[in-house]
Amino acid sequence: MRARIKKFLDSGTLFVWFCGTAVAASLLLVGGVLLLIMVNGLGFFWPHALVDLTLTDGTHVLGELKGEEVIPYSETPAFPEGKTRVRLKVGNRDLYGLDFRWVDTDQIVSAESPKDVAAFERREWGNFYGRIREVSRGGDVVASGNQEGWKALQPLIEQANDLHEEIEHLQRDVIGDINYDIEETRLKIRELELSGQHEPQEVAELQTATKQLETQYEKHVATLRKLSRQLDEYAVILVETNGREKQLAVGQIVKALRPNDMGFVEKILRYFMNFWSVLSEEPREANTEGGIFPAIFGTVMMVLIMSVAVVPFGVLAAFYLREYARQGLIVRVIRIAVNNLAGVPSIVFGVFGLGFFVYAVGGTLDTLFYPEALPTPTFGTGGILWASFTLALLTVPVVIVSTEEGLSAVPREYREGSLALGATKFESMLRVILPCALPGILTGLILAVARATGEVAPLMLTGVVKLAPALPLDHHFPFLHFERKFMHLGFHIFDVGFQSPNVEAAKPMVYVTTLILVMVVIVLNLSAVALRNYMQKKFKASAV
Amino acid sequence: MMRRFVLAHDTSRFFSKRIVSVSFLFLAIGIGSAIQSGAASDSMVDPAWKSYSQVSGVSGNLNSIGSDTLNNLMTLWAEGFRKEYPNVKIQIEGKGSSTAPPALIEGTAQVGPMSRQMKAKEMDKFEAKFGYKPTSFPVAVDALAVYVNKDNPVKCLSMEEVDAAFSKTRRRGHSVNIDTWGKAGLDGNWKSTRVSLYGRNSASGTYGFFKKKVLKKGDYKDEVKEQPGSASVVQGVTEDRGGLGYSGIGYRTSGVRAIPLSAKSGAGCYDPTFANASVGKYPLARFLYLYVNKAPGKPLPPLVSEFLKYVYSTAGQNIVIKDGYFPLPQTLITKKLGEM
Repeated sequence: MRARIKKFLDSGTLFVWFCGTAVAASLLLVGGVLLLIMVNGLGFFWPHALVDLTLTDGTHVLGELKGEEVIPYSETPAFPEGKTRVRLKVGNRDLYGLDFRWVDTDQIVSAESPKDVAAFERREWGNFYGRIREVSRGGDVVASGNQEGWKALQPLIEQANDLHEEIEHLQRDVIGDINYDIEETRLKIRELELSGQHEPQEVAELQTATKQLETQYEKHVATLRKLSRQLDEYAVILVETNGREKQLAVGQIVKALRPNDMGFVEKILRYFMNFWSVLSEEPREANTEGGIFPAIFGTVMMVLIMSVAVVPFGVLAAFYLREYARQGLIVRVIRIAVNNLAGVPSIVFGVFGLGFFVYAVGGTLDTLFYPEALPTPTFGTGGILWASFTLALLTVPVVIVSTEEGLSAVPREYREGSLALGATKFESMLRVILPCALPGILTGLILAVARATGEVAPLMLTGVVKLAPALPLDHHFPFLHFERKFMHLGFHIFDVGFQSPNVEAAKPMVYVTTLILVMVVIVLNLSAVALRNYMQKKFKASAV
Repeated sequence: MMRRFVLAHDTSRFFSKRIVSVSFLFLAIGIGSAIQSGAASDSMVDPAWKSYSQVSGVSGNLNSIGSDTLNNLMTLWAEGFRKEYPNVKIQIEGKGSSTAPPALIEGTAQVGPMSRQMKAKEMDKFEAKFGYKPTSFPVAVDALAVYVNKDNPVKCLSMEEVDAAFSKTRRRGHSVNIDTWGKAGLDGNWKSTRVSLYGRNSASGTYGFFKKKVLKKGDYKDEVKEQPGSASVVQGVTEDRGGLGYSGIGYRTSGVRAIPLSAKSGAGCYDPTFANASVGKYPLARFLYLYVNKAPGKPLPPLVSEFLKYVYSTAGQNIVIKDGYFPLPQTLITKKLGEM
């Protein structure tokens, strides 16, 4: 027996099992986290059925079922395992005060899912669940009753959404452009004044230009107001399940659904439409509703700027350490320091970024190049450039280490061969060693991207905001606006999850945002992997 | 009348006596009249609010740095304000009330939302740079609620008991340290359930307000779990059956219950409702402020003053209600608008 155990141990099978278990455990954990996020996040887009519960006191509760639990310590002879209660999303926040409600199951007399109830997604106050009493236009009833009203409402909502689009276009594009020009002229005037030597004529010209722009602005604002009034043209009276009424403008409704009356295919279609609208729309209601497009955009753009900054920086440092520097104590110390840098908490980098980039560099840039805008800081406040640079600092050790790995993997014969053929050290490094080390460099980039995308703490100090008024990229010269503040998926999760007042209603949004953040990381990584494979293939071919 | 001064902070003697005491006097008067007019309709809406009317020539950037309690409210106001002035850019950072004074001093923000009043030290720093004090504008009323898990049957806690639960110094003089729910008067399996405390981090104005008003500047227990946001306090209490935490009333969810509080043990218990907060019966009502840099005798920049006017309009105050806080009566608004 003992001999057999010894033999088993010596054979190493146990160790194989041990390793296998470790891999399985980590896969299981990662899979579990992803599954949790997916289960919670993907359900968000599904049009959930509405149930109408009749309670023992005769009142009704209408909403989406959101789970059931056993009331702790509630065992009674009638309920030996304890009573249960269900959680419903009842919406109608303006009427009920809260979006969610717990109902004890022993209070429920009957449960139905009537086909004629609808879920109205509103621009304010969250969802409304109920029926339609009447649709009216300026006090005149257009359609009364639930069925008639429903038919009349659908085209009106579409109309209102078109109007909203038009308003948004006017606000963001047309008026946005005018504002941009006005601000530019204001700065030009200020610049001329500051320089002390200007023709009064020049200033006067600019001032007339501003006047013209302002007239244009007034004209567009008048149109805007007209459109906004059109939104309020039609009103609808909704009634919740207990008969309380709520009147609102049709322009307030984003969409109306009758989930109990929808077929499976229709629901799937709706699912993808909802998914797309979250990806592509702007947030509403202090980020708890609507989409997260600006946050996705900000995250991707920040990572791209960071990559552009970190790669040359890290690669040059690694080349020096590996190829030029005399290997000795100092280089060893530097290497240890670089490795330790990777272990510094990210918030420390954030503080450094704030002190160095934002206040020192940014402040100096402002006094040198943007005196006309002061006291409003241009670069002297957090912005996407400083956030990217801070993250570049944070991730540069990763790039250095993996580039060095890549360099050390280049066979000695390559260097010697290149030198023997008469190439200088610089030439052989550029033509021979760098291409061979590229996979290592790109591996470093992949790791850096993964680390940077998920990082939030340093960003909070260097330029992330809850709601950024404009994207850092637009059609105004110079297109990329490095000084602008931006939104970020990671911060969005923190903000919605920890700071939004209606945290219960916002919870699905947190999961959705997390899911999308994970997807963004995966997409960014896959593109880096694809780039690496492409490079490898290309250089293999050229080496032959 | 004095009773209503419960709302007032007792540090006013340290600084800016005039601004603070005047505004509180008016709050007391204003809210008194609001109750008379609003009691019948059972609604928080003051019919005297005025709708906002646009003026021309408002444009530019507005930066706001400060309280996280006010973060959402600021964002909602910003969304509404931008509908009136599409040419205005508003950027909001909310990491705690303590971040507002430095931002106002540095000029990185024109508006500093705070969920407490500025401390004397912060005032002094501001004055040292500009030669005058910053101006505060109360913009909403918040009832700081004490939350327990939804299953917790506790009926009412006195301020002494809350102090004895959260503080290790017990300055309010409660005889025992409340570390189990049994010591707060609960029976059955609750008797031995430990009180699990949730609070805010020290940058938060809510932390400071609670410390001053409830703990009488005593020290928090070490086991208070400091949370990065008000919503996470509520989340913690939702998941933790023995949980006890404090946050603004706007953060209430179906998973927690805001318990009635009494100002003294034996005194009446009052729910954190608008009516109770307005007349000062609820002991933990407070103002939420916007601080601005206003030189005496000079008007505010048009952008800032229009933003404040928007906040004080029907639309602005309805947003306050939407976000779960309590709006201001028109009398106080008129008074503050006059100061601008």
